[in-house]
Amino acid sequence: MVQKEQEWISIPMTVDVPYRFAAGQYLTKYLVEMRDNGKIFAVKCPRCKRVQLPPRIVCAECHVKNEEWVELAQEGTLVAFTIMYLPLTDPTTGKPHEPPFVYGSVRLDGATSVLDHFVNVEPDMEKVWVGMRMRLVLRPKEQRTGDLSDILYYEPLPGQVRPK
Amino acid sequence: MKRNVAIIGGGQTYHAARRHDVDQAEMVNEAVRRALDDAGMTIDEIDTIFLGNMEFFEGVHMTDCWLVHGTGAYGKPGLKITTGGTVGATTVCVGAHHIASGLFDKALCIGFEKQEEGDTGAILSGVAHPLWGRSLAGAAVGYFATMGSSYMATWGATEEHSAMVAVKARQNARKNPYAHLKLDITIEDALNSRMLSYPIRMLDMCPASNGACAMVLADEKTAKKRCKKPVWIRAMDTAHNEQFELDWRFVDTKRPIFSKVCAARMYKKLGVKKPAEYFDVFEVYEPATWAELIWYEDLGLCGPGEGFRLVEKGMTNIDGPIPVNPSGGVLSTNCIGASAMLRVWEAALQIRGDAGGHQAPKDVRRALTTGYGGTNWTVMTALSKTLDD
Repeated sequence: MVQKEQEWISIPMTVDVPYRFAAGQYLTKYLVEMRDNGKIFAVKCPRCKRVQLPPRIVCAECHVKNEEWVELAQEGTLVAFTIMYLPLTDPTTGKPHEPPFVYGSVRLDGATSVLDHFVNVEPDMEKVWVGMRMRLVLRPKEQRTGDLSDILYYEPLPGQVRPK
Repeated sequence: MKRNVAIIGGGQTYHAARRHDVDQAEMVNEAVRRALDDAGMTIDEIDTIFLGNMEFFEGVHMTDCWLVHGTGAYGKPGLKITTGGTVGATTVCVGAHHIASGLFDKALCIGFEKQEEGDTGAILSGVAHPLWGRSLAGAAVGYFATMGSSYMATWGATEEHSAMVAVKARQNARKNPYAHLKLDITIEDALNSRMLSYPIRMLDMCPASNGACAMVLADEKTAKKRCKKPVWIRAMDTAHNEQFELDWRFVDTKRPIFSKVCAARMYKKLGVKKPAEYFDVFEVYEPATWAELIWYEDLGLCGPGEGFRLVEKGMTNIDGPIPVNPSGGVLSTNCIGASAMLRVWEAALQIRGDAGGHQAPKDVRRALTTGYGGTNWTVMTALSKTLDD
């Protein structure tokens, strides 16, 4: 018998599933304030006093109800970042982000938490660093939809020099 | 634990990027047969079966039902476990708890992933909060990259330290016939590999592997009767973490983070004061180089910010005083649902003295393993050679 090269069959398949998630009591209030008034609100735990983002009903550590809303400054400090070279798919749109791009974690002044978003800076190690001061930039009011994408990106405050 | 539990057998597949030659049940069965052979048992003797994988990666749900013929679960009690990167260790933990409680005497625990059948990076974005940052969910590499940038800025480590971990893992993997990436690489190779997401390069990250691991656990009476080299599970623990606030990006946090909380609880149970001396071998879950450095610190093998000094001095080499991941670790083989179980199984092989080419050249009596996954949680397992160790 003639030996043929072994064939293995595998069958491609794509599954496209729609979802709809409820933002709930706390995140809805946050998203409405950001969309309608251009303000960023966090919640403060009555016990440990941590100012938390995203706003949520219970402090995970103290397990008490968060009831105090605190408006945050829209400036903060970059605590971690990456320059992404892979064309990662945006799961909310199904389309890839155009690489390279920068994103990172910024602790807005007055917050305990960080908020991750794109950083509008050249994808160059000399142009972005941990500790850099950032400003949050929202979409123009008429373009806001009540979603985290109402934040366009962070941009560095002007006049900063990379520390040695 | 209420009753002592031992690992009395185990087995794994030869892990690879492509396994078009088998379907999921066939692949799982390879590990199951090796584990049963190693334990000297037939499937009829197994009381209960626990199967773990991240079913949404392959898009086939209810794997415990679909793979019954491959796992041997027909007619038997059992559960399916799906807990992120920790799956394999959670599955062992569940098996151990069921035996320790007295419900069963012999459990078969199985972990697997056939990553090539789905798109793990895309599916991982479903692990992110749907309304808070999911559009940025950069697979696993994005998170470990932000963590690396923070680690370097906080402690003064460099990309060279990451490369040292990358090289150690792949050189160890060359000694392990089952490992996926058996690469003869140098520091320069790692530093010159393609940048994926600064500061993570191709060789700083784990591969996407296909593979399975299976282990037979038994109570003390069965273990002593049936097994020449039982390895004892002395303690297992897990810890969840606060979301959004606390993860490995915050390398100098003073707050109780999952990894330190879990280690502290384990050490208290076992009376461990100096973990680097108490344990002879460590198998940790390091999907990226930077995770290994943080494990050194969070497990107390060194002080905060000193992890990169350990690898710099070669302390964690296979022949060093604190061998970490002599198997090559997750950096060399990541079949996700099996990866955390492979940590436990590889540590058991070290204690048995059966690790072959990657056996640490010392008397291995105790080992500690970690799992890592989800959105920052861990499962840890402490093993020993005898119940007196």
